[in-house]
Amino acid sequence: MNKLLVPILSVLAAIGFAVSVYLVFFYTPLDFTIDHDSGRLVGTSLFFNETIMYFHVAHAFVLFTAVFIGGIASILYLWKRKPVWDDLAAATIEISVAFGAVVLVTGSIWAKAAWDVWWQWEPRLTMSLLLWLILVGYVLVRKFAGPSADRVAAGMAIFGMVGVPFIYTMVGQDSHPGSGANGVAFTLKGRMVVTFWVAVATFMIWFVALVITRVQGTRAEREVRELRERALDLGVIE
Amino acid sequence: MNKIVLILVLLCGLASADGSGSGSAVAPAAPPGATAAQVAALEQTCADAMNADPNFAKSIELTINKQLDQQTIDAHVDALHHIQKNENHVIYAYAAMWVIAALLLVFLFLRQQALKTEIAALKRDLSRAEDKA
Repeated sequence: MNKLLVPILSVLAAIGFAVSVYLVFFYTPLDFTIDHDSGRLVGTSLFFNETIMYFHVAHAFVLFTAVFIGGIASILYLWKRKPVWDDLAAATIEISVAFGAVVLVTGSIWAKAAWDVWWQWEPRLTMSLLLWLILVGYVLVRKFAGPSADRVAAGMAIFGMVGVPFIYTMVGQDSHPGSGANGVAFTLKGRMVVTFWVAVATFMIWFVALVITRVQGTRAEREVRELRERALDLGVIE
Repeated sequence: MNKIVLILVLLCGLASADGSGSGSAVAPAAPPGATAAQVAALEQTCADAMNADPNFAKSIELTINKQLDQQTIDAHVDALHHIQKNENHVIYAYAAMWVIAALLLVFLFLRQQALKTEIAALKRDLSRAEDKA
């Protein structure tokens, strides 16, 4: 069952992705109209770029979920000291680095298309970048910090998790089309809702498949460490 | 101020030439083939008409304002259409997403393969060492 789980999830994610692309480009209308009497825009002013939004925000949702799971797993690891929690935290945080990169890059491209700037040092964007740097720091600490790396990294994961609610609910004078409870995800209407949540579900499934794969990798790394120790004891390696 | 007066005068002249009196939806330019003297005469006629009839002057002003509003609306609509059809950035974003996903998969695959190889090698070495012992 375990061997089949990742392929099944991957196939589901692939189907979901194909369906999402169809929904985004052929099913969901663009959410704006122009009132020709006033010449003003009626809608969320996302234009064609809103096709980026479905995947950008879906990745952000997965990123937040991953960081949250990583943080909880790190708390449990520091508390119980069971390797399973450390494996889960390492896997989720490492995968979240990739999802965070997608969020930042697609967001930046969207910003250039919609607002003609690649980046603005506004609160939400700055916090998102800082969160991503914390996640990168986590990976680096695990790789280079030596014997206590797992505990230091766990602390960083908890620190990152604490930042997530601030990013999500941050309502500043920023360019985002809505934040927090008034954010895009909760103000979408009609077909946009369906498309958005299909995209979120797709990337969640994809994320789970990646985390399972990465957890297997972490266990393999632990097995390598144990085998090396045995080999050292027996003098097989130096 | 001088520019506005000039535009008003020109529009007024065109309105007179058109014969409608309202001057709606006409460009502020001299009629084709008109000589400088004819344009000057039209301007004078327009100025006189405006001075004589405040309502006429007001209608000219209204026409200009409407034209300026329309130009603003057109500029906004053009900008909207430009952004609306801006497929390039959407392609960049999707490409970035695919590239990052592909890099992650390649990274995970290579790492898994390296770990499998190392585990197999260590197990082989250990079993040999244990056999010898």
